Amino acid sequence: MLKNQIARTILGRLGRALSVGFWVMVISFAIMRIIPGDPASARLGGVEAEAIAQLRKQLNLDGSIFQQFSRYVTDLLHGNLGISLQTGRTVIDIIGSTLPLTIYLILFSTFFAVILSIPIGTSIAWSGKAPIVYTFRGITAVILATPNFFIAMVGILIFTVRVNWSPVFGYEPEFPQNLKYLWLPVVVNTLIMTSVVSRVIFSSVIETKEEEFVETGIIRGVGRRRFFWFYILKPSMAPTVVLLSYMMGTMLGATVILETIFTLPGIGREMVNAVLTSDYPVVQGILLIFGVITVFLSFVGDVIAYLLDRRVKI
Amino acid sequence: MSGNHLLEIKNLKIDVRVTKKRRLSIVDTASLIIEPGQIIGLIGESGSGKTMLCRSLVGTLGRRGAYIASGQLKFDGIDLISAKQSVWNEIRGKRIGYVPQSALAGPNPVMTIGAQLAEAILQDENFPKADLEKRSLELLNIVQIRRPETVLKQYQHELSGGMKQRVMIACAIAQQPQLIVADEPTTGLDVTVQAEIMELLKQIRKDFNTSIILVSHDLPLINEICDDTVVMHAGTTVEKIPSKSIKASKHPYTLALYNSRIDLVVPKGQLKTINGQPPSVGSWPEGCRFSERCDFVKDKCRVKQDLPLITIGTSHETSCLRYDEIAR
Amino acid sequence: MKTRFVKFKEWLLLPGGFGIFTGMLMLGTMILLGIIIPNFGPYKPDEFIGDPFLPPSWQHPFGLDQLGRDVMTRTFSSVGIDLGVAFLGVSIPLAIGTVIGILLGLAKNKYVISLVGSLIDGINAFPLLIIAVAMLTFLGSGLRSVVVILAITNWARYARISRTRAVVVSKQNYIEAAKTLGFSKRRIVMKHIAPNVSSETVAYALSDFILVIVVVSGLSFLGLAAKPPMAEWGSMIADGRAYLAQSWWLVIFPGLALCWSAVSLSFVVEGISRRDRGV
Repeated sequence: MLKNQIARTILGRLGRALSVGFWVMVISFAIMRIIPGDPASARLGGVEAEAIAQLRKQLNLDGSIFQQFSRYVTDLLHGNLGISLQTGRTVIDIIGSTLPLTIYLILFSTFFAVILSIPIGTSIAWSGKAPIVYTFRGITAVILATPNFFIAMVGILIFTVRVNWSPVFGYEPEFPQNLKYLWLPVVVNTLIMTSVVSRVIFSSVIETKEEEFVETGIIRGVGRRRFFWFYILKPSMAPTVVLLSYMMGTMLGATVILETIFTLPGIGREMVNAVLTSDYPVVQGILLIFGVITVFLSFVGDVIAYLLDRRVKI
Repeated sequence: MSGNHLLEIKNLKIDVRVTKKRRLSIVDTASLIIEPGQIIGLIGESGSGKTMLCRSLVGTLGRRGAYIASGQLKFDGIDLISAKQSVWNEIRGKRIGYVPQSALAGPNPVMTIGAQLAEAILQDENFPKADLEKRSLELLNIVQIRRPETVLKQYQHELSGGMKQRVMIACAIAQQPQLIVADEPTTGLDVTVQAEIMELLKQIRKDFNTSIILVSHDLPLINEICDDTVVMHAGTTVEKIPSKSIKASKHPYTLALYNSRIDLVVPKGQLKTINGQPPSVGSWPEGCRFSERCDFVKDKCRVKQDLPLITIGTSHETSCLRYDEIAR
Repeated sequence: MKTRFVKFKEWLLLPGGFGIFTGMLMLGTMILLGIIIPNFGPYKPDEFIGDPFLPPSWQHPFGLDQLGRDVMTRTFSSVGIDLGVAFLGVSIPLAIGTVIGILLGLAKNKYVISLVGSLIDGINAFPLLIIAVAMLTFLGSGLRSVVVILAITNWARYARISRTRAVVVSKQNYIEAAKTLGFSKRRIVMKHIAPNVSSETVAYALSDFILVIVVVSGLSFLGLAAKPPMAEWGSMIADGRAYLAQSWWLVIFPGLALCWSAVSLSFVVEGISRRDRGV
């Protein structure tokens, strides 16, 4: 009965994720079509009608909207996201070659952010001393309100211009050399993420701390270590995990800027290049991938939160 | 008076830090004695300081910025006021069990009931791990939980209010403590469930000779099962009286509490209520703190000192100055 | 006079009062400088007045940029553009989203509810910056496109909040009571539901303002919103990037102004939320 309930809840959430996923697909499809004017003629300018018709066909813009959509879905199911107008590579190939770097960037930042946030958030919440709390709130508020590109610029100014610890631009994909290029972007992302995550851990520990069961735990004589894990951290974790999954999505969006600054060949910079060169199929494909990843992340985040704390409604 | 009592509270004063300099007394001159195997009811309106008095018995005043300012607090001869962490570790969960307020709490939401029971059982470091499940089931049987095997694997939100409270009691009695502190254990539960929980506590006292402090604001409920009832008003204990002679109370406040029972109302009669609101913390009147609300008040009640408890019979003490004049 | 001062002091000491006050003061200063310096200052934002890359001095506290324009004048002429675009980018979606959310919360037609509801979820699934970048491809870059795009996409976040709130409020007892008393539906919506819902969406709008400022300047930084020679923080930072090693003032001053505005708003937001919670 118990197992069943868990399975049912998770399946229900999966159903919602799939329906949002469907809409993500519809939006990626629609984005090229809802805007007034014809993207094909806009791109080609005043050339002859034949070339425009050719491009319309290539962009899946001919025929009725239903035909277009059914072709779009069929192609998707075959793993066909179209072909880049700029380079002639398939979009799926472009995504495949640029996405991993972006994912590493985010995973590393998340990892470090979590490792830093747990001790910072819990210890400040537990001590509860007003001056420390105000300082903490103030510093994180400033970091959060600062755009990532400005933080990145200051980072470059310090670590590249003043003390040449990081190259100005470029990238080498091989393992030990790439760290030289990656560490600064990871630090910038980590800094931002730590501010958000530690704030959430902070406020959720503050909330947990006031709960009666915590008092009961103390009185029961639960050992220090066990008390920390099961009475403070675990009950506070569910909101943190939900936020973390959301933040990873936001960070994914922010890589568009970060990868441009650090000239990293990730999917974000690829998207900006595609936008600047009006490479419609690439923009559309990357948008879809971003949407799908975000939906997936929020599904996983909700499920983990639910498994940590069954009171969570997902 | 020696260390023979299980618990001895004498003129206890608990202060809370409001700001850096400002202090507020929330309990002032509270006195209470519990013998082994006794059930004592601690009753009073909200804000009378009963919860804080309970917290002082389990050493968690500090969490609320409160501390014991003066007085005596002895548990089985051990001074709890100066107790260090190591002393508390030997007492909490082992010799003093705690049942929290039911309305707010319940078991830890992120641990199974089984895990929490295990925690309580393993407070005894020498307990053989092999017997853990057996002992868990045994405890759940004592608190009369049906299908204990299933409950062990469940989380608190899957249990009803009464079940949660039974689990909390099971945890509290795991080490067979000498004293159980139950802070409003039945508030917010159905009336029938309340009666069941009370019956359970009574059974536990009978089987294990455990003393119980039962906090409540419901005098009739408490009166059913307690040996003695201690009445608190505005941070002080105003009367201690054997439950069976509650009607012979000599304190107007106790009488007022007793008379405000709904079931005493004759059909179409009027429900008696207590005049006014309890005085708020920090603005207690001098002398008798009930004087503002009392029907029997005389000038001498407003003396400029705290009123001590006067012994007027076998385990009957009152702080009312006019106890001998008050006829029912 | 004195009582007013005392009243203000009491207000300030309430939870969050200090944050709200500091934030407003910071924001007010920025707006004031944004009005004074470009209009009454000695230079124009796109006037060439001296040697390129002149470091900060008494005469030019923020220095001169790569074309010899006064960085201080440019930084403060951006105030109106950045805050203005962000204001439009917040207030239009706020209005659209709140209305759609209320209508959806009160709607009876199941198909409409699930269709619009999933559309909202779908739009919200994308990070704002990403969907904005993608739409700019088709709409063409520029500040006007940015405002249009924010109107098209950002309403969904408000609609979600407004809908949830409208559902909660419409189930409340006093609404039921008003219905039984025979008040017209229009009156119930306008008098009870709308104020209740909008107080929530407006509160979100304040924090969204920060996000939108960052998104707008971020898009300009990528070269997709404000275009040179227009003075705008994001594009000034992007322009200065190439000369970062020699002339840090090209990047740092517009960046600080951007930070200053966002931080001031975040102080206000935090102050208000603390006041609501009373801690």
